[in-house]
Amino acid sequence: MTQPKSGDTFGVVGLFESADALMAAISKVREAGLGKVEAYTPYPVHGLDKALGQRRSPLGGMVMIMGVLGALTAFLFQWWISGIDYPIVTGGKAPTSWQAFVPIMFEVTVLFATFTAGLGMLFFLNKLPFFGHPVLHAKAISAITRDRFGLAIEAEGDAFDVAAAVRALESAGARPIEVISVPSFSGPMTARYLERSLLGIAIACAVSGYATYWAVKLFPVLPPTSHMLVQPRLDPQKPSAFFKDGHGMQLPVPGTVARGYLPLGVTSQEEAATLVNPLAVTQKVLEEGRQAYMNHCVVCHGPLANGVPTLTSAYGAKPANLQAQQFREYPDGKIYWAIVMGKNAMPSYAADLSEDDRWAVIHYLRALQRAQNAKPGDLAGVKFEAGSGQGSEGKAP
Amino acid sequence: MKADAVRLPEELQAPALTAGLVTSGNLDDQVLTFAFKKPPRAWYIGFAITSSVMTLGLVLLGYTAAVGIGVWGNTNPVFWAFAIINFVFWVGIGHAGTLISAILFLFRKRWRNAIARFAEAMTIFAVMCAGIFPLIHVGRPWLAYFLFPYPNQRAVWPNFRSPLLWDVFAVSTYFSVSLLFWYLGLLPDIASMRDRATGKVRKAVYSVLCLGWRGANSHWNHFEKAYLLLAGLATGLVLSVHSVVSFDFAVSLVPGWHMTIFPPYFVTGAIFAGFAMVLMVLIVVRETMDMKNLITDYHLDVMSRVILAMSCLMGYAYLMEGFTAWYSMNQFLHSIFTNYFIGAYWWTGWLTVACNVLIPQLFWFKKCRQSYVWMIVIALAVTTGMWFERFVIIVVSLHHDFLPASWHLYKPTLVDYGILLGSFGLFFTMVLLFARVLPVIATTEMKGILPGAQPHAVKSEE
Ligand code: HEC
Repeated sequence: MTQPKSGDTFGVVGLFESADALMAAISKVREAGLGKVEAYTPYPVHGLDKALGQRRSPLGGMVMIMGVLGALTAFLFQWWISGIDYPIVTGGKAPTSWQAFVPIMFEVTVLFATFTAGLGMLFFLNKLPFFGHPVLHAKAISAITRDRFGLAIEAEGDAFDVAAAVRALESAGARPIEVISVPSFSGPMTARYLERSLLGIAIACAVSGYATYWAVKLFPVLPPTSHMLVQPRLDPQKPSAFFKDGHGMQLPVPGTVARGYLPLGVTSQEEAATLVNPLAVTQKVLEEGRQAYMNHCVVCHGPLANGVPTLTSAYGAKPANLQAQQFREYPDGKIYWAIVMGKNAMPSYAADLSEDDRWAVIHYLRALQRAQNAKPGDLAGVKFEAGSGQGSEGKAP
Repeated sequence: MKADAVRLPEELQAPALTAGLVTSGNLDDQVLTFAFKKPPRAWYIGFAITSSVMTLGLVLLGYTAAVGIGVWGNTNPVFWAFAIINFVFWVGIGHAGTLISAILFLFRKRWRNAIARFAEAMTIFAVMCAGIFPLIHVGRPWLAYFLFPYPNQRAVWPNFRSPLLWDVFAVSTYFSVSLLFWYLGLLPDIASMRDRATGKVRKAVYSVLCLGWRGANSHWNHFEKAYLLLAGLATGLVLSVHSVVSFDFAVSLVPGWHMTIFPPYFVTGAIFAGFAMVLMVLIVVRETMDMKNLITDYHLDVMSRVILAMSCLMGYAYLMEGFTAWYSMNQFLHSIFTNYFIGAYWWTGWLTVACNVLIPQLFWFKKCRQSYVWMIVIALAVTTGMWFERFVIIVVSLHHDFLPASWHLYKPTLVDYGILLGSFGLFFTMVLLFARVLPVIATTEMKGILPGAQPHAVKSEE
């Protein structure tokens, strides 16, 4: 097809007062067979496409295909990301479990489908934007977008003849009738002008985008981004402005006592001999003592407290045999001292055991000692019930 | 169609959709010329107020960005406070527009044509307002693009199992689809404005905006199909969006959030709040722009009925929530639910119920559906109530979480209030600007339903 030159006749358009009149005219004008017949209306008029012999819109199929494509895209994208490229296990689900992908699949389906419907209709099917169409430059257009119904015979093929077209429209009842020629592209309203301004906008976008890109690249840490860097904190080997003396860490207030470190009131193990176990021997205390012993002492002193560790021989030190005569006669206070202060190779257990636990361990230790050195009379007065083998050490008289 | 011959009794006939004599021509004269006239004094005053409120909001946003979100009242355990309340609130407002333009379109409710355009525009502005909040809520909004799955040098991808990410997709899809839908509908109207416009700049702007629309029937053919498809898709979308928003809550384990009723409950609430807002703004538009013949009493009446129906659904949802809490035999749920009404924020719970369930019941009375005062009072109540409903859901559920040691009363700061106010400023500024430069009524769609608009020949053929 040759490009129409400006000044060529594009076609003839006639205006009708009502949709009914337009409808009635179409068949007459089409019969004349002068060229392509097209209607121009202010709103969609039902039944015109049939009357004009226009094909059904293929948009439905396009949207369907793109919608399915959207769903697939979203699914594969999420599946690949969450299942393969960067598996994150959340909620104990397998990385490739698909159920959680459904919401985004739905959204992307709709996105693809709607943009196909909207933009596909405008750009692909209707070939818009097009500012240079002759009808847009005709006088009739302002009536058409308002309340008149235009019927145009457009030059196409050899049968077109301006006079015959005018006659055909006239006899169909159109008033007024206008011969439209291809517009000359000058003046501000032409396609070229608009295209140029669109190009201008595009260039402005590109330039400002590029400028932003470099601005961000060259000055990445302007405020407020830089606020992340100025958080108040302690840096090693650096003075700090937190306190007057320039130190970040401060000594505790004089006289501060840490939890569980109340002064013993004695200064040596010998003096500690005078300390008295404040706990009464009860089943509960012994049970606590047993737990503490099992947690903290058993590895070195052994389950029987006879100094046979459950450790391998790689452990070089020799834990005391607490079943020895010496320790059976040891005052509670001296054991207490050993637990709190440690003894030679034995470290302090003050941090691990509360005041009560320490004393409870000592009670338990005593029970162990007694159990290993039992005398025949020890069980006198203890009643045995059938099946009660447990906790018998606590029932010593 | 012979059915036309049978006269339906008066009360079954479809009511007239316009009042007085409306023709295609005078419709254009009435609606499209607003853009070419100097706006009245009231418009300037309104604009001055809304834009200064908006500016206040902007300044506070800037302050938040510069100093950090520590300037808000959010602290442990209420980290989701105003920002998320406002987000859910505004997204909800948006739903009415899509409902009116898409769902009612599919149901062939022709009364929608007069109010659809305005409602759609309100959707877009509401979603714009909504979009601000998650953005600023991330704390460093300039890094918000981290939310999108794009290949990056950190070699990490977002977690697709997180409802928060679904939200990103849902809301951005919703915004772009609403925008497209709105713009497509506007296209023929803008074409008409182009032909009405005087003055070079105006003409050029409208020319570009309408993409050279010329009303050719081959174009209408595709256009109508596209509009139908978009309506169908938008219907699914609008139902999905607030469902996804509700997943942010329902998928978590916080008592009071973890409920299966949330998606439908949120969608209902959204439509409810949106209709109230549309009703309020329409009343103003109808009065100030003198559109009583196009937005008729009938329109206001139907809108009020929709609000009433939604209000009943809300009441049901609240009852159901209470029932679920009771029936669960879960002490955390019991405690949260009783907290709504007798806890530290007891009044918010009662306010919600009063505004959303009790006050709208007034719409049972015809008198209330016909009086501006009542309609505005009820619509205001609904708007307030729906905001507080989100407050109850978010703040009240969070401030007493599983760990009593971290219980804490949430107190919003002035900045919080200011930003909320600013979002209203933005919304109404956009509404005012829209009313100034674009047609507030879908003239093309209206022309299509005026009496005699469609050829009779077609009707008898069918
Ligand atoms: C790391 C191994 C280890 C653990 C655990 C351990 N000890 Fe010892 N303990 C030793 C060693 C080694 C000695 C011998 C120290 C010495 O006299 O050279 C010792 C000595 C002792 C003594 C004798 C102190 C004295 O005055 O001679 C007592 C009592 C004692 N431990 C009690 C305990 C108790 C009670 C616990 C549990 C809280 C415990 N130990 C846990 C290694 C351990």
